[in-house]
Amino acid sequence: MSVFMDLNISYTTDRKRLQAMIETAAHLGYSTVAINYTVEFQQKKQEIPRPKSVTELFEKLPIVQGKSSPIKVVNRLTVVTADAAHFRPTAEYKSFDLVAVYPKTEKLFHTACMTFDVDIICIATTEKQPFHFKRSPVNGAIERGVFFEICYTPAIRDSTMRKYTIANALCLMEICKGKNVILSSAAEKVLELRGPYDIANLGLVFGLSEGDAKAAVSTNCRSVLLHGETRTTAFGIIHTVKKVQPTTKQTDEAEAPASKKTKTENI
Amino acid sequence: MVRFKSRYLLCELCVSERNSLQLLEERVIYHAVRAAVNRAHGDYGSAVCNIGFSVKYVNAHTGVVLLRCRKGHYRLIWSALPFITGIESRGQRVQCFLNCLHVGGTIRTCQKFLVRYSTRQLHRMLLHCTSEAERREVRKAVMSFSLKKRREDGEEEEEEEEEDDGCGAGVDT
Repeated sequence: MSVFMDLNISYTTDRKRLQAMIETAAHLGYSTVAINYTVEFQQKKQEIPRPKSVTELFEKLPIVQGKSSPIKVVNRLTVVTADAAHFRPTAEYKSFDLVAVYPKTEKLFHTACMTFDVDIICIATTEKQPFHFKRSPVNGAIERGVFFEICYTPAIRDSTMRKYTIANALCLMEICKGKNVILSSAAEKVLELRGPYDIANLGLVFGLSEGDAKAAVSTNCRSVLLHGETRTTAFGIIHTVKKVQPTTKQTDEAEAPASKKTKTENI
Repeated sequence: MVRFKSRYLLCELCVSERNSLQLLEERVIYHAVRAAVNRAHGDYGSAVCNIGFSVKYVNAHTGVVLLRCRKGHYRLIWSALPFITGIESRGQRVQCFLNCLHVGGTIRTCQKFLVRYSTRQLHRMLLHCTSEAERREVRKAVMSFSLKKRREDGEEEEEEEEEDDGCGAGVDT
């Protein structure tokens, strides 16, 4: 039994709509969703938003279809970059579980694949891809464990967007051969979500094979989450657990070395 | 003579307001799906739809739809289903989407799945009940519904009855 995930649900200030979207996602059988905050540096002085905690949204999370566990909600930041200076990994990025980048130029795509410390690279779905995918950066990204994301909501909204989405997806598949691809919704409304099996089948239109399409909504998403976790840990080995209750500074300092020590001993 | 093999797509129609489900008809679904396949796959899609595609069952209460198509082409038709954003019925446009629940080779397996699925839905809904009295109320409502249906038209479609039975059993446990 695979676990389905949708790693892109657009954040809206409308709390009711966000709740309804997450409830629908649980009804459709997604066991993890990511709320997406987008930052665009075209306007001057764009602030990186603070992620809302999940407990603010829900008192009790809805139960996933076909499971007995509640849905898991994570936060994700998408940085739209047109210039290399726009991507500055600061402490603010650390408060998100996942970080994605949407490169606008070929040069940036290359650096995003090779050097940027991100989990997801978004592929254009609302316009024609302004550059061709090259083999070397894509292979580099696959080696580093960075995933490419294709959103399907623009394809549902409009016929021209659908052409762009399918064309860009096919372009990417020629190079990456169906590896390291995730499919997600980028939904802004409840009725823009689709069931996981439908999306797995839609992957066939995007040039994925049957197994790859199913992996794109399940196992690949899990890898993305794990990759996001390793970003916040030291070398992916040492892991510090967040405290639920805010503690005083003194106890934090006292406990930090102890926990590290026990972890390393285990290894 | 070998029979033509089919695939049955058991789908659920999701709408924002449950009242608008009453507008569902087989003809409406048929045209919506055909239009979507035509938009996504052009003339070839239309041609594929012409052979062996039909809407077998529509439940206007739960929004469950059963589509039948040839085994060779079901993936093509299925891939067009996510692009349905609304259906037009009696002059009204209803925003909705189709969520595929199950793909089966016979109506029988789809029916079995539907009974199981409906039971699970009831279990999910019962979680929202706050008190034992409310729970009892829901159980009573479900039982009365199935009994009334049977009395009104004894030969109601088997699937509907089965589904209700499943729901009733779900409450008892």
